[in-house]
Amino acid sequence: MAHRLIIENLSLQYSSSEPKALSSLSVDVPAGSCCAIIGPTGAGKSTLLHCLAGTMHRQHPESVASGRLQLGETRFEGLPDHILFPVAALVLQDPYVQISGVRDTVFEEILFTLENLGAAPQNPRKIIMPLLQRLGIDHLANRKPTSLSGGETQRVALAAILVAQPSILLLDEPTSALDSNAQDKLRAILRSLRGTTTVMMSDTQIDFALAIADQILLLDHGTIVFAGSPSALLSRAREYSSIIPVESWLATQSFLTSLQTSSGHQKLISKALGLQ
Amino acid sequence: MPVRAYLDLPSKLALVFLLWVCAFTLSWTFQVSLCLLLVIARFAIPAFRPLSPRSATAFSKFIVYSISVALLVVCLNALFIKTGGTIATVLGFSFYEDGLLFGLKTASRLILLSFSVLMFFISTPLPVLIGYLQEKGLPPSLVLVLLLTLHFLDQLPRRIHQIFLAQQARGAPVDAGVISRTKALLSILSPLVLASIVESIERGTALELRGFLSRPAADRIPAQIGKQDNLLGICFYFLSLAILLYSIYRWLIA
Repeated sequence: MAHRLIIENLSLQYSSSEPKALSSLSVDVPAGSCCAIIGPTGAGKSTLLHCLAGTMHRQHPESVASGRLQLGETRFEGLPDHILFPVAALVLQDPYVQISGVRDTVFEEILFTLENLGAAPQNPRKIIMPLLQRLGIDHLANRKPTSLSGGETQRVALAAILVAQPSILLLDEPTSALDSNAQDKLRAILRSLRGTTTVMMSDTQIDFALAIADQILLLDHGTIVFAGSPSALLSRAREYSSIIPVESWLATQSFLTSLQTSSGHQKLISKALGLQ
Repeated sequence: MPVRAYLDLPSKLALVFLLWVCAFTLSWTFQVSLCLLLVIARFAIPAFRPLSPRSATAFSKFIVYSISVALLVVCLNALFIKTGGTIATVLGFSFYEDGLLFGLKTASRLILLSFSVLMFFISTPLPVLIGYLQEKGLPPSLVLVLLLTLHFLDQLPRRIHQIFLAQQARGAPVDAGVISRTKALLSILSPLVLASIVESIERGTALELRGFLSRPAADRIPAQIGKQDNLLGICFYFLSLAILLYSIYRWLIA
């Protein structure tokens, strides 16, 4: 079941002597919707996702946080001091580090997550194979996880998280290892999660984020400079050209193609490109 | 029943324990014999065959390196421990009997210790080892540390190779000789180790993010251990105990 995600006035410093990595962030992500975080490198996108997954205290014990988080009915003052899996599950940017190395096949690798949860079913094929089919990697079920390409590994990593049916799915730059075909598949997968899983993802590929998100957060130096719908961002795209390369992404044909199935954006794109 | 089944994981662990006991209790001639037997076992016994061509190469390289190091240890000891009779004089350097014996003891012990551990790791699939340790109730955090360490050691040569290739592509003379390679290796050592540590931390985080540390004990995968494995393992442990008791007895009457 999808959870609503509320972030209230969240600030974070990696240590008390360092400047704020996140500064007074407030976001409300409705249950079952998709929120994309975009922004330049070092803006705080991954940091925010790690805060939500509960890994910040483990990775940076000296970090100082203030504000509140609410995941469904659970509220946290500051940051959670434990990993929130499987309520909130984070897929890391580097797909290769997410392969455990302790299982021989992709199928077993996915099952490994259920074993960790103590939820391995009697007949795991009934759960795992449909998931692999949905992700388009069912043909890899018997392959060695460490022998896959970047895109395949990324989808295996995603499957290894999705099998736990998280209420909130956090994706750190999920398109970084994917070619355009694999991106299309991922886009379809994320769309299929709408309503059942709350998704929060960071991405540097703005066209991808715009195509699937219900809400966009534009971060710069740990501060939200824009929060709103993709349409609203598109209509104000030129205002943020110093933060993100608006001209280039607006001009890409792939962007137009990717949005062909999305309703409502076509006119705005044409307008932004000066076609109207 | 195939031979491999008689030397499954618990038996292999017991054998490694036995070899370690031998390394600290028996004479160097016996230890050298055991080392030779291990090398033969690597080819002859399926349970000790390397899992991949890469691990086979690693084992062969290790044999060459360890023999070189052993020779160095023996020569240095024979040269600098100047007691006992002179065995030989080469280019004005005299080699002494006591030093030679001490060097042989030290080198054979080190080789047996390292051969037995290496043989275990190159012939044991990591999933089997991790599954076994989990089934035995080892704390998940310790299993995670072991897993990350093994992965770190596994990835290090690959990273070194990649960096050498990158340096070669930039025209660095890494193939010019041993000195050039050593200099190149020294210059990349700290970033290499740091990068590998960072990757290990990320891998640990990724495993934690999949609930590895909160894994319930009741659901850990049972390792497939047969009665024969238990019996053979028990034999190895009894033999270890017997050797230890004999060594203590010999020490007491000496």
